[in-house]
Amino acid sequence: MRYHIENKIYHVEILPPKQSTEKLEADLELFAEKYNRVMESGYCACITDNAMGLLAFQGHEIINELNLKVNPEQVMIHLNTFHTKSNLCEILDTCMAKGIKYLLIISGDGSDRLPKLQPADVEAEDVQSVTSVELLRYIKRHYPDTFTLGVAFNPYEPPEHEFEKLKRKIDAGAEFIVTQPIIEKNAIVDEMIQKYPDIPVIVEAWMSKKLYLLSDAVGYPIPEDTEFDPIKTLMQIHRDYPNCGVYLSLLGFKTQYHLIGETWRNI
Amino acid sequence: MKIVVCVKQVPATNDAKIDPETKRIVREGMQAILNPFDTYAVEEAVQLRDKFGGEVIALSMGPEKAALVLREAISVGADRGLLLSDRAFGGSDTWATSYVLSKAIEKIGGVDLVICGKQAIDGDTAQVGPGIAAHLDWMQAACVMEVCDADKDTITVKRMHEDGYDICEMSLPAVVTVVKDINTPRVPTLKGRLASDKSEIPIWKPEDIGAQSSKIGLDGSPTRVVKTAPPPIRNSVTKKITGTSAECVKELIAELRLRSIL
Repeated sequence: MRYHIENKIYHVEILPPKQSTEKLEADLELFAEKYNRVMESGYCACITDNAMGLLAFQGHEIINELNLKVNPEQVMIHLNTFHTKSNLCEILDTCMAKGIKYLLIISGDGSDRLPKLQPADVEAEDVQSVTSVELLRYIKRHYPDTFTLGVAFNPYEPPEHEFEKLKRKIDAGAEFIVTQPIIEKNAIVDEMIQKYPDIPVIVEAWMSKKLYLLSDAVGYPIPEDTEFDPIKTLMQIHRDYPNCGVYLSLLGFKTQYHLIGETWRNI
Repeated sequence: MKIVVCVKQVPATNDAKIDPETKRIVREGMQAILNPFDTYAVEEAVQLRDKFGGEVIALSMGPEKAALVLREAISVGADRGLLLSDRAFGGSDTWATSYVLSKAIEKIGGVDLVICGKQAIDGDTAQVGPGIAAHLDWMQAACVMEVCDADKDTITVKRMHEDGYDICEMSLPAVVTVVKDINTPRVPTLKGRLASDKSEIPIWKPEDIGAQSSKIGLDGSPTRVVKTAPPPIRNSVTKKITGTSAECVKELIAELRLRSIL
C-alpha cells in the first residue's frame, strides 16, 4: 500500500450493479467500462460489498464473469461479515485464484435479506457476533501471505471506542487503514495517523455533490445548501494529508474523472 | 423428488395504498419484491433437490410482471418457473388462489412436495399453503422449522407452535409451509441471475389447467372484504437515559423489567 501512496495511485470506488436492476447487462457493461478506465489510468479499482445494506452483485464474480483483467496492485475488494460461510470461502478462493491482493475487511451494513457470518464459521466461539476483527483473523489464519488486508476507521464515532476497535483490528493483522469520508482536516484522523505511523492510511474523499448521502456517512446533518466543491476539497485533502493515499468515493466518471488526473501530481 | 415451490410478488413497501372501492392494494407504480417468507421456501426446495435429486419448479399467480419473482427463484437454484396469469384470476381470495395453484400442480403432474412460505407479507393470512393441501386432499404441515428426514414415500418435519414443536411424519405427496428458522436463504449469484434472465417462463391461463370459471376470481372467492384501514399510528415515546455507563445500564434494565421485556 505504501507503493500506492508513493506513486500517487488513487483508490477509485466502483459500485457493482444492484441485485434489483432490471437492466443488468447494461449495468455490467458500464461497470466494465469504469473498471477498465481505472486500470488504464494505473489507479486501483475498489469494489464495494453490498454498501449501505443494498443488495448488489459481488466484485469477484463480476470480474470472473466478464473476464476482466486483474493487476494485483490495481484491485481492492471490500469484504464484509454478511455472507454465508460457503460464500465467504468462494469469494476468498476466487480472489486468490484471480490474483486479487487487497481486501478491505469491514463489519458492513446488513439487511433482512443478507445472511450473517456466525462465530463458528470463522472459528471465533468466544464472541457473540462476528465483526471485521474476527473475519480478519480468520483470513490471516487460513490464507497466510495471500492477501494484504485493510480495515476501516470512523472518525465520527466516539474516539475512545473507535481507537479501541482499531487497536483490535491492528492486533488481528490489519496492514492498512481506510477512513470514512472527510471533507477537511480532521483532528481524530490526525491522532490516528500519529498513533500508527508505520501503517499506511488512505483517507476517503467525498466526490459526490449529494450532501445528504455524506450526512448519512458521517452521522451528522450537513445542510444541502452548503457550498461544496469536490475537486477543491480533494486538493485540500492532498495538502492536509501529503503522506496518505486517497480513496475517491462516488466519483463521477463522466464529470470528474478527467479532472483528477493532474490533481495529485500538481500538489 | 419433484418439488413445487409457490412464490408471490408483494409490494416492497410498508406504506401500501389501498383502493377505497375494491379494498385491494394498489399495485401500480409500486416496487415489488419476492415475498420474504418465500425465499426460505425456495432455499429449502433447492436444498432438498440437491440432497435427493429431482427438480424444483417455482410457481406463481399474478400479473405478467410477477415473472420477475420466478426469475429470482431460478437465480438461486430453481430449475424452471411457471406463471399463472389471466384477468379471470383477478380478485381471487385465498381459497380461489389455492384452487388455481392446486390445479396447476395437478397439471404439472408427479409432484411429491409443495413448499410455500408461511404467509405473504401483504395479506398475512397464511391460508394459501393449507388451502392447496385441502384442494389436493394431501397431507400438510404448516410453520415447518426443519425437515428432519425424507425418502421417496415420506417426509418428517418439525412443525413449530407456541409451546415448542411437533415432529410430524407425512406420506408424500404433501404440502408444507415454512418459517424463517428453517434455513438461511442464499443471495442470487451473478451467474444465476444471468441464467434466469434467459429462462423462458410459460404463462398458463385457466383453460390450460382446467380451472372452472365459477371457482376463480371474484366468483370463486367466498371472502368479502368489508372494510380495510391502516393500523392506528403507534404513539411511541423516546426516553433518553443519561449518566455513567453503569448508571445507564442499570436504568435500562429497570425500564425493560418494568415493561416485562426482561
